[in-house]
Amino acid sequence: MTVSLEAMRSELSAAVGSAEPGLAAANKLCAACVGLFGVDGAAVSTVYEGAAQWTFGSSSESSRRLDEYQFTFGEGPCIDAVTSGRAVLVPDIDAPHERRWPVFAEAMLDDGFRSVFALPIVVAARCVGALDLFRADPGPLRDDEFAGAVLAAEFAEGPLLDLLAPGVLDRNDRRHLNGRDDRSSDEFQEPLDQGRFDDMDLKRVEIYQATGMLIHQLDVDPAQAVARLRAHAMATNQSASQVAFAIIERRLVLERDDRNFGGSGT
Amino acid sequence: MGPDEKDLGQQREQGVIKAFVHLSNELVDDYDIIDTLTTLTASCAELLDVASAGLLLADESSVLHLVASSSERTRELELLQLQREEGPCLDCYRSGEIVVSAGLPDMKKRWPVFSRSAEIRGFESVHALPMRLREHALGAIGLFSEGVGHLGAADLALAQALVHVACVAIVNNKTASDRATINIQLQHALNSRVVLEQAKGVIAASGELEMDVAFAVLRRYARDHGLRLSEVAAEVVGRGLPVDVLLRHGRSAAILPS
Repeated sequence: MTVSLEAMRSELSAAVGSAEPGLAAANKLCAACVGLFGVDGAAVSTVYEGAAQWTFGSSSESSRRLDEYQFTFGEGPCIDAVTSGRAVLVPDIDAPHERRWPVFAEAMLDDGFRSVFALPIVVAARCVGALDLFRADPGPLRDDEFAGAVLAAEFAEGPLLDLLAPGVLDRNDRRHLNGRDDRSSDEFQEPLDQGRFDDMDLKRVEIYQATGMLIHQLDVDPAQAVARLRAHAMATNQSASQVAFAIIERRLVLERDDRNFGGSGT
Repeated sequence: MGPDEKDLGQQREQGVIKAFVHLSNELVDDYDIIDTLTTLTASCAELLDVASAGLLLADESSVLHLVASSSERTRELELLQLQREEGPCLDCYRSGEIVVSAGLPDMKKRWPVFSRSAEIRGFESVHALPMRLREHALGAIGLFSEGVGHLGAADLALAQALVHVACVAIVNNKTASDRATINIQLQHALNSRVVLEQAKGVIAASGELEMDVAFAVLRRYARDHGLRLSEVAAEVVGRGLPVDVLLRHGRSAAILPS
């Protein structure tokens, strides 16, 4: 059965949007991957500024364990995906020519899994984690499944950004906030739907430019800068683009001090 | 043809030759993709006498992203970016055909949001040309004019020739014929643009500059030091290269007031 990319997009979006930010959203996303791509397990791992990588969200205990093996043994497709910034697709880890991760492969086979597909999660042109999909049976992902997995890796950016920005409000609080102080009168911007925030909106020129300004102003790295911008947009119920233009046009300056951050009217 | 027109024709011919010689030289050397495509959009705008030209590439999910433009003003970039959802470049990318809208009334009917933004900027007509490499659709280039009407056949042929060069520049590997390899090249170009925009932001915030001036400072520094634009951008974002060094260079090169 082939599911259209649009149908996958709305299902993934609903999964991430229905959960609390952070871990719960990552878990929901992994569960949605299992339903959509015919895989038996999914996990999201995160790496922070070259420091240790660890498993963040997962669809089940067994997939979490499988994902964590890679960080225990220091080898695996997920680590390679993060290092190279490219998808690492392993249709059969037991294939004779497959010699890349001997220790991890053995552990995976012991747990009853044969194929693994790791997709990089990229924020601000930097790899901040990976989405791992596991299957008990060998075989490649179909083209539509691969396209969906690429999309799912994009949706995984949100939960990872939740993790990077301190003071992200939970979605219930956010719905009641109505900060309009730095709202721009931009001609293109429609008001945000209540409580809805689309992380696809982060892939815009003004976001990249504002990210650069925040790197300088807040003395943070690119992923943290995006996380700060996003969290401010959520807290004040604006689109990321509105906040970005406010920063670029010098109508808004975010504070360096994280404790002042995330409230209404900063 | 009067003597003035003849002069204009010769001038233009020389411009065309210059543009192609410049591009082919760059492609022989170790070139920076964004720098090359920025030069190309500037050549398009100049030679075709359009007010603005912009180049959009599609990612793996067929979403269009801005890669190069003849203007670096943020709001001009917005006009291009808007076409992720609606506009001549998106229609062109999807159909693989040239899309022309010769006047505002027609534009308004076809793309209500895009035309509003185009009108604010004083653009009255638009042409979008597909970017293709063999059977693969890569993206589209948009040409925006302040006057109404169509570009002539000769202009369109010239634009198409420049677009072909752009496609070769993006997919620089001759053996790159499969979709996966092309996607890697496209992703490389798209990532370079992201880092470039971030670097513009760092420079703009530090020097209290507008984004187009920040870009000029960055590009000038890269050129004068024989470095790739994307390398310098990455150094600025990673803060391995202090932004003050670029600002100082910008002042000494008279891009910035000293």
